[in-house]
Amino acid sequence: MNGQARALIESMPNDIGTEAVGPLSFDEAFTLHHRAVFRTARAVVRDSALAEDVTQEVFLRLYRNLNSTPGEDLLRAWLLRVTLNVARNTLRGQSRSMVRDNEYHKSTTETGFFVDAPEEDYERRQAIEEARRALDKIKEPMRSCLLLKQQGLSYREIAVSLSLKETNIGSLVARGRKEFARVYGKIGGKR
Amino acid sequence: MTRCLDEAKLQSYFDGELPIEQMESVTSHLASCANCAAAARELEEESALVMNALAMEFEASVPTERLRQRIDEAVLGDRLAVARSSETTRGLAGFFSGLLNFGAHRMLGYASLAVVLAFAAIVVVVKMKSTPPAPAPEQVASNLGTPAAKNTDSKAVTPATLNGSENTQSIKIQTPTAKSASNGNFRTVKYVVPSAPTPKPSPVKLLPGERSYLQTIARLDSTIQSNKKTMRPALQVEYERNLAVVDRAIAATRSAAKSNPSDPDAADFMFAAYQSKVDLLNTIADARVGGGRGH
Repeated sequence: MNGQARALIESMPNDIGTEAVGPLSFDEAFTLHHRAVFRTARAVVRDSALAEDVTQEVFLRLYRNLNSTPGEDLLRAWLLRVTLNVARNTLRGQSRSMVRDNEYHKSTTETGFFVDAPEEDYERRQAIEEARRALDKIKEPMRSCLLLKQQGLSYREIAVSLSLKETNIGSLVARGRKEFARVYGKIGGKR
Repeated sequence: MTRCLDEAKLQSYFDGELPIEQMESVTSHLASCANCAAAARELEEESALVMNALAMEFEASVPTERLRQRIDEAVLGDRLAVARSSETTRGLAGFFSGLLNFGAHRMLGYASLAVVLAFAAIVVVVKMKSTPPAPAPEQVASNLGTPAAKNTDSKAVTPATLNGSENTQSIKIQTPTAKSASNGNFRTVKYVVPSAPTPKPSPVKLLPGERSYLQTIARLDSTIQSNKKTMRPALQVEYERNLAVVDRAIAATRSAAKSNPSDPDAADFMFAAYQSKVDLLNTIADARVGGGRGH
């Protein structure tokens, strides 16, 4: 970084630093929620490299909106709401590429992210693919309800993430669950 | 016996989302209702199926360190962008507020505005190739590709001739704004025809009173240009960024004035824009001469 860039940073007002997000700092928010963000993004875009892009964008938005994000109790819901929006926008501009994901998977295997034996890896990826195909059959917002429920979000958080009424979440989860079980059974996932 | 449970309530019950008193009533109902108990078992099975099926999706490792690194870099880049854009914003804010209050001097945006207008003025003059109606002392000096305006000190206006003779427009020349020459120290002017978007004069007809501003701006611009190398890089960048915006604003006011020649407000607005450019050019020249930071 050159001197000018440093001077620019030093000249910035203090309030755009990584100060508290409610009681959480930006770093704490990342530490606590980056997994949920990344996994949700990957579940939507079906591509690990794209999911990294989405995760980066989500936390960049958190950084830019530190003063207007909700407190700790609803921060995860806010993050996942942004994640879903960014991921869907990303999908619109990208064709889903299993090839790319495979390449990513190969590269990350070399760096130790995935350590499954090849046959286990294959079975696992097949299972994931079956679940994804079943999910694709579920209509929104039930599909997102299932995804967020799987991440352990409360009904309130799901409602915030999806801009829905909290009182409707139970019904949506129930319908999504029924539909998923029906479709997944047909696909062959119910073994 | 209570009413049978709908699927939403049953789901909420298993998800632990019901208030405590409702949890108790559902528990007691399930113990006494075979239908609801069967539905509850089915729900549990399906929920387990969904959980297991989707668990694999979420079990894959997360590249935490790489994400942290990427986000740190992105945040750093964002901070730089914010810092830079804050300067630009100040410049643009100056431009727009100056339109309403053209006495403002410390707005960087006007610097860009002024430079653009100066270029535009030169292009207009050059392309007009018009013959001066008479040896008028206030006319802009500009021969294509040749230095024309001589150093004359702050109060003076360069006598000159305009190249070409096919354009026979009659242009009213007005005395230049005294303020515009306040910086003096004008040197030999070498006008450079810019590639930046400028009002296309084909044929160009200056509006009444417009030329004096153009003259003033051209002189100030030449002063600034001759010393541009000493200008802070950030200030130069500011110029470049604002050029397009500024040019559009000028073109708009000028177009409005041109299409409504009888509307004094339109002309006033255009002159206000011109005057503001002159003001800001002065500011920039002052900042440069004084070694200031320009804002």
